[in-house]
Amino acid sequence: MRYLIRSDWWKWLTMALVIYTIVGGFLMPAPRLPILNETVRNLHFHVPMWFGMIFLFTGSVIYAIKYLKTKNLENDILSATLVDTGILFGILGLLSGMIWANFTWGEPWSNDPKQNASAIAMLIYFALVILRGSLADEHQKARIGAVYNVFAFAVLIPLLFILPRLTDSLHPGNGGNPGFNAYDLDNNLRLVFYPAVLGWTLLGFWVATLQSRIKILEFKKELE
Amino acid sequence: MYSYWALLSKEFLIDFRQKYPITGIVLYIFATIYINFLTFQGIISPVTWNSIFWIVLLFTFITGLAKSFVNEERRSLYYYLLIPPGKLLIGKLLYYTLYGLSLVFVVSLLFNIFLPFPSDSANTNLFLLNLILGSIGLSSGLTMISSIAAKTTNSSTLMAVLGFPVIIPVLLLAVTNSRKILLGAQIESIQGNLTYLVSLIVIIIAMSFILFPFSSRN
Repeated sequence: MRYLIRSDWWKWLTMALVIYTIVGGFLMPAPRLPILNETVRNLHFHVPMWFGMIFLFTGSVIYAIKYLKTKNLENDILSATLVDTGILFGILGLLSGMIWANFTWGEPWSNDPKQNASAIAMLIYFALVILRGSLADEHQKARIGAVYNVFAFAVLIPLLFILPRLTDSLHPGNGGNPGFNAYDLDNNLRLVFYPAVLGWTLLGFWVATLQSRIKILEFKKELE
Repeated sequence: MYSYWALLSKEFLIDFRQKYPITGIVLYIFATIYINFLTFQGIISPVTWNSIFWIVLLFTFITGLAKSFVNEERRSLYYYLLIPPGKLLIGKLLYYTLYGLSLVFVVSLLFNIFLPFPSDSANTNLFLLNLILGSIGLSSGLTMISSIAAKTTNSSTLMAVLGFPVIIPVLLLAVTNSRKILLGAQIESIQGNLTYLVSLIVIIIAMSFILFPFSSRN
């Protein structure tokens, strides 16, 4: 994050990748798969949201641990803004997934393990926001928030492996559904998908750096 | 060794110095189960029984264990100066595991009177094993959450808000196991889930030991 705040070459890369994703995602040839049809293009917009969310939350856990080690409030600001941006990405991922599911599964919410996992992840991070909101002292807010952040993340990761054991997923590529893995994910999709993941993730970090720069300035102004 | 014994007896003393918190939680369990008895009597299937049993257990745990640190927040500085946080956590975990197991005992006893175990063919020992593992998971997870919630002003709301998402994995595994057992499963078919449950408990306890020193400090 500190490196990302200092440098700006990656912002040009982000712009290029996101524009390429939007143009290529809508216009480049996509394979004809049963049920999915043209909705397969959602791969470039829905799936990167989840990748971005996981990267952002992982970043926030790393800064939470750094805060606990150094007691530097700047680390806490970085951790908190990463959580905020992760929540934004999570909500966008849920919405894009629900709209897509409405067309392919016939209903916006089924008992799908990936949907459940994302709902629980959202619950955990909303709880973290509420927890931070209910503490007044800056250092206590940072410390207790960081403790809950690490604890919840350590429980969330096993959950992502447990849930699929309990029910089969309806997602493409799981439980015999037509999907993107092995022979299905053809090279045309790959050509857009990988840049899309990188582009949207970097866009998330861009949002987070802007937000944290404002907050760090406010924090320094308060100190004076 | 002596210090753990002292910590355990201290927790015990705090709880039994006043009779009404214990009586209150028993009455809470009784009222919940009795309402379920009035509503579900005669129309209950094994799968419904299983859901009701675990929901009652979950709310009992949240209500019962919310107090584990909240009541003692005034004394936290004293403990902090007196004993290392790891030791305090061992004392708390031991006591609240025992406390959770006795809550499970009360719940099962009352369930046996009002809404008896619904299946004759189910493997009761396996059911008990799964129940004990689930209860250890719930009590260790909630003890750590309680130490976090105790730092805030509206701790009873936050206890539920912070606790639910964290204990959902434990609960999902335990409830699924016990449903399978009620429908006649043997150890072979739930072995994998039981191993997951045990490793989840290990993760929760290990994370508690790493993080408790940070959350206990003022």
